[in-house]
Amino acid sequence: MMDSSSLSQPEFDYLFKLLLIGDSGVGKSSLLLRFTSDSFDDLSPTIGVDFKVKMVTIGGKKLKLAIWDTAGQERFRTLTSSYYRGAQGIIMVYDVTRRETFTNLADVWAKEIDLYSTNQDCIKMLVGNKVDKESERVVTKKEGIDFAREYGCLFLECSAKTRVNVEQCFEELVLKILDTPSLLAEGSAGVKNNIFKQKPPQADASTSSCC
Amino acid sequence: MPIGHGRSGRGLRSSSMMAISTLSPTQKYAAGALLALALRQAQIQQTQPLDDDDDPDAGTRDRCSSASASSSTSSSEGGGDDSSLWTHESRGLLRPVFRFLDIDPKAWPGLEETAASSIIKHHVGAYLRIIFEEDDENSSERFEKELALAKAVDAMVMSLEAALTSAEESKEKDHKHGHDSHKRSNSGTSYCKNFGATIEPFDTSETKNSKASFIAEDSLIQFENVHDDKEMLEDNSVKYQRKVAVLYELLSACVADTPQDNKKTSRFRKGYDARHRVALRFLATWLDVKWIKMVAMEIMVACSAMAAAKAEEQSQGSGSEKSKWARWKRGGIIGAAALTGGALLAVTGGLAAPAIAAGFSALAPTLGTLVPVIGASGFAAIASAAGSVAGSVAVAASFGAAGAGLSGSKMARRIGSVEEFEFKPIGDNHNQGRLAVGILVSGFAFEKEDFIKPWEGLEDNLERYVLQWESKYIIAVSTAIQDWITSRVTTELMKQGAMMTVLSTLVSALAWPAVLLAATDFIDSKWTMAIDRSDKAGKLLAEVLLKGLQGNRPVTLIGFSLGARVIFKCLRQLAESGDNEGLVERVVLLGAPVSLKGEQWETARKMVAGRFVNVYSTNDWILGVTFRASLLTQGLAGIQAVDVPGIENVDVTDFIDGHSSYLSGVQQIVEQLELDTYYPVFSCIPIISR
Repeated sequence: MMDSSSLSQPEFDYLFKLLLIGDSGVGKSSLLLRFTSDSFDDLSPTIGVDFKVKMVTIGGKKLKLAIWDTAGQERFRTLTSSYYRGAQGIIMVYDVTRRETFTNLADVWAKEIDLYSTNQDCIKMLVGNKVDKESERVVTKKEGIDFAREYGCLFLECSAKTRVNVEQCFEELVLKILDTPSLLAEGSAGVKNNIFKQKPPQADASTSSCC
Repeated sequence: MPIGHGRSGRGLRSSSMMAISTLSPTQKYAAGALLALALRQAQIQQTQPLDDDDDPDAGTRDRCSSASASSSTSSSEGGGDDSSLWTHESRGLLRPVFRFLDIDPKAWPGLEETAASSIIKHHVGAYLRIIFEEDDENSSERFEKELALAKAVDAMVMSLEAALTSAEESKEKDHKHGHDSHKRSNSGTSYCKNFGATIEPFDTSETKNSKASFIAEDSLIQFENVHDDKEMLEDNSVKYQRKVAVLYELLSACVADTPQDNKKTSRFRKGYDARHRVALRFLATWLDVKWIKMVAMEIMVACSAMAAAKAEEQSQGSGSEKSKWARWKRGGIIGAAALTGGALLAVTGGLAAPAIAAGFSALAPTLGTLVPVIGASGFAAIASAAGSVAGSVAVAASFGAAGAGLSGSKMARRIGSVEEFEFKPIGDNHNQGRLAVGILVSGFAFEKEDFIKPWEGLEDNLERYVLQWESKYIIAVSTAIQDWITSRVTTELMKQGAMMTVLSTLVSALAWPAVLLAATDFIDSKWTMAIDRSDKAGKLLAEVLLKGLQGNRPVTLIGFSLGARVIFKCLRQLAESGDNEGLVERVVLLGAPVSLKGEQWETARKMVAGRFVNVYSTNDWILGVTFRASLLTQGLAGIQAVDVPGIENVDVTDFIDGHSSYLSGVQQIVEQLELDTYYPVFSCIPIISR
């Protein structure tokens, strides 16, 4: 009933589900906060998952970005795994001043993506955060680029604190998604698999009600 | 971990009861998430029931045509900001629970969105695992507490089952009664097959369990991240206590209400919301915990709340009556009924919820019989030891502090033309003090007893009432129908097997045999009157529920014949008078004289949080004949399926011989529906011998 209005006149052209992952404390939530409300704050660790929506216009398209911000803490790992499903874009974040957050990308996070992501074509993006702390940097840009090349991701270094490259992170990711027909089809407003309309007239209904 | 810092502590009056929970913050978070998911699942289920055709065990012969919802209209999908979702903030169903669980408010939107926008089964497994995975340093202490709670629950279950067994015995007697009435009402003819007496007692519990675990397992398998889910569940001995702890805590959270919510959401209803109960049903199944254990926990929560309330009352005893009331009101802990119906407290014969005024002492005898193992006074101790936060005075308010009775005559005068409308408790102690209420409505009767007798042996764990309404008219019309059936012309028709033909023509809205038309004329006036009365009684029933005279507890409505119409009209009335979705938990209509078209079944469906069952018999020609009028062309619920998503249709044609056999058969049918499951069930009736 209530979605009929949005069906007939969608307020956006595409809806994309994006996911932020990475070790605890690398600045995923800060990145998101900077992107969605252009502010920076001292945030406590995320509990479970957080969720934000941002409407943007990129490449001439009106986009609704549903961004899931997951907790990096180990104890939530099981839980966050269920959020990979259906994401069109995944942002892997590390802290350029903490090497282990970078090595964990290969050891943990890339594996998680392989394991849980349901989307073959899903766009991955590597983001090195906290470049404002240049003096404390331990992971070089070169390392980041190499990693991105190896795993086939986009790459950017940014700072949620100083706002450097934050917009670009999301923009590049979204542009790449817009370039990928299969992802585009999923994200079309009113089309199936749209997470906001998980159950349009299709067989989905029976399967989803089985539990 | 100490919980209840200022924010949440404020809402819970008796903070002494806010003992340490056995659950870690992460587990509480997961528990909150699971409730959110369950709540969402429950809402999806409302319009898209499970299709368990593929259920091979138990040999279910259910013809539940869970109308596959190709319904873009009925599904309430939308973003998390869709206020029609039960998980939405404005519904006041989730956030109070989150607050009670002391989940960081920052995490709320994520949980709400998870429930609202994703496919639920993808997350259930993950969140379940969190609950079992995490263990921290004080685990031995927690283990002790959880063990104590689990033991208490088990003890309660045992006494409940003992109570059921004794009910079984009294049921035997009822069957004899049924036999008598059967003879009486069908002298000369035998259209009414009394199967109650001929059926061997058959034990559904086994199939029930296997089915529940089947579903749980099934759903677990479906989680994508299966690798160790099954192992997890197999480790039952340890996990069981944890499950109980989780359910107990969630139940407490659902029942308690935190006053500060009233400011934010005007529609917030205190008490035990039917939707919460349905969600807990899902959760119990996901956790593979039998529902009877939840019932046990409900009683424990109720009792510990009562005890706490009593303690609170005593400690505040020095204060004047007036200031106490003022304080309660300020706390927002008085149910609406208490406010509107304070004067009604003294009235008896109504829906006398266990009154907080009468207090704990009034309930204690009931408990004494129920819980010999623990003893009523032990409840609060156990509950607090196990970390319940249920000791809020608010809890007590939710299930009957209202305590307002309702006199039939008073209500009748208000509505005008309804002459009789009275609730009568039935069953041993009518299960007083339960956190769920059952209202059972007869609609076909030959004497006043027929309002009570069909329901007397029903086995459930509801605080049960029958609604006796307009018995004069019901008896008149029923007798007229019976007379007509036994009249010669009808007997002749019967012999020729004409009735079956008649019914098929009825349904297809073709012409009638003139002789039949003439024959039914004399029923019509009485029938029209009775229909009118049932519509009015339905409105009255809605009014009762709206006033919260059931004590803000979830209500299960079961009725047959015109009684089913009363219930349906009640639902319609509830729908018309605003957002009342949290009142009614389950509905069973049997042989309902309600037409299919023009009756807004969809809106009625929305008023029922859990299962909505339409029981019909395709050869119920009495209903067809009496209800004909112009309405037959529009379909009739009592003789055919209602094709509305979310309504279970159960065809009992093979078990019901005629309309009047609902009188003796209703109990059996209702039991076979296994209302304590959340998915459509109509278990197989053992072949009736002879």
